[in-house]
Amino acid sequence: MKKLKSLKDAIQIINDGDMVSFGGNVLHRAPMAAVREIARQNKKNLRLVKTAGAQDIDLLCAMGCVESVDAGFVSYESKYGLANHYRKGVQSGTIKGNEHACYTVICALRGASMNVPFMPVKGLNAGDLLVENDYFVVVEDPFSGEPVTLVKSLVPDVAIIHVQECDEKGNAIIYGPKFEDTLLSRAAKKVIITAEQIVPETKTKLNAERVDIPGFLVDSVVHVPKGAAPSSCYKKYDIDDKSISSFIGMKTKEEMLAYLKSYEVKDYIGERMGRR
Amino acid sequence: MTNNTDYRISDIMTCAISNMLQDNETVFHGVSSHLPMVAMKLAKSMHAPDLVHLNIPGGVNPGSIQHSSYSSAGAELLGTGEAYFPLQEVFDLSMRGKLDVAFLGGIQFDINGNVNASVIGNYHKPKVRLPGGAGSAVLIPTAKKAIIWRTKHDKRTFVEKVDFTTTRGNLWRIVTPLCVFEFRHGKLHLESIHPTSSLEEVQENTGFELIYDKLKYTSLPTKQELQMLKKIDPHDYRSIEF
Repeated sequence: MKKLKSLKDAIQIINDGDMVSFGGNVLHRAPMAAVREIARQNKKNLRLVKTAGAQDIDLLCAMGCVESVDAGFVSYESKYGLANHYRKGVQSGTIKGNEHACYTVICALRGASMNVPFMPVKGLNAGDLLVENDYFVVVEDPFSGEPVTLVKSLVPDVAIIHVQECDEKGNAIIYGPKFEDTLLSRAAKKVIITAEQIVPETKTKLNAERVDIPGFLVDSVVHVPKGAAPSSCYKKYDIDDKSISSFIGMKTKEEMLAYLKSYEVKDYIGERMGRR
Repeated sequence: MTNNTDYRISDIMTCAISNMLQDNETVFHGVSSHLPMVAMKLAKSMHAPDLVHLNIPGGVNPGSIQHSSYSSAGAELLGTGEAYFPLQEVFDLSMRGKLDVAFLGGIQFDINGNVNASVIGNYHKPKVRLPGGAGSAVLIPTAKKAIIWRTKHDKRTFVEKVDFTTTRGNLWRIVTPLCVFEFRHGKLHLESIHPTSSLEEVQENTGFELIYDKLKYTSLPTKQELQMLKKIDPHDYRSIEF
């Protein structure tokens, strides 16, 4: 089966209500073109998972695509301030904010990657997160009798990861920080890779030990140069300060629809470029 | 004491934090953490050359922190580092008891060492949804020393009782623009007052009665420290939050 798809076709496999997780971290290598396409396709009731997110989560919250967010941290960094659309959604009760401790998202994804229903987590042993959230439970360690905290596994229906290089089989290479992306690719039921460059298989074969995500784990490959913009993509481009700032300042849905529209040509350009 | 033009509050906080760090310690900072990042680099350049600098992108001992204007989790930290040790492994390290110092944030603190980075109001229907504690809830209990820095010191930050306890206990120090608190015997104690502030000012801006044995003042930045800061942080990222 051909994995190389258009952005539209790749995002179409996401169903309303799916658990979706994004690669990258806060302002870095978030799969923003895919996120924008999810918003354009008007997906609903998505359950988002990420250790630390920013515009990816904020944009989908703004567009009414989100039912819940499981994350340790949702905010832009110091300079840009808070993720206001996410905040408003949680404050008005339309979005459920499931706060994690970053590490508990990692442990929940590790659980998914091993196909076990929960993972023990050290460290989380005090405070109200344990009390208020049903995905944390304290039980007695059957071996030592000591209390141990468990986190329920998070099994994303779809993971979307933006990388610098990928071949048509889905063998993907991440340059620079990988964040939790390789783990995520092992935890999710389906994996969509968006890539700056589609490289020949002969090239990934030469660098086989550099492949972070082997193609057999990947369902769809999409060629999207600048697919992480306005977040940064190591070795390719830095953040687009203007785009992020203008988005943060937006109040109305019309402004945001225009924002999404302004990215359409860029987001779909990979389809016409073919392999490079 | 009157304002001196040679240093600012951000310099005092950065140097105070730097002086809390010791040689050979493993030290981690996360996102939105420019001030501690600069403090770590300062300590490493002054008295702690073998301090191990860990961060989210996973660059062990980054050689440069000068291009990270908007982020303390950028690729530069790995690109100029000496080895790759990503976030999930930093967490695992802390769980094994081998992380010496972790830097964490928070919005509200009370005298009993409760930290709130989650919500103002009810957790399920909050008045204000905050960014979240990130790694705090697992790192504060497991790191040997948890240092919190906050660039605001007022009665909304230091409160009688936090709205929500994201985590508690095992804090070590809290550094603010006015003073340093130390957490011991289950209570926040006033450890030192910055010479730019006063006991009256700290009390006026703190929502609980201060506990202290004897009044101490935070050391002011030395000339050498200020010179080194100019070199390692020429773009003044340590002042971003001010």
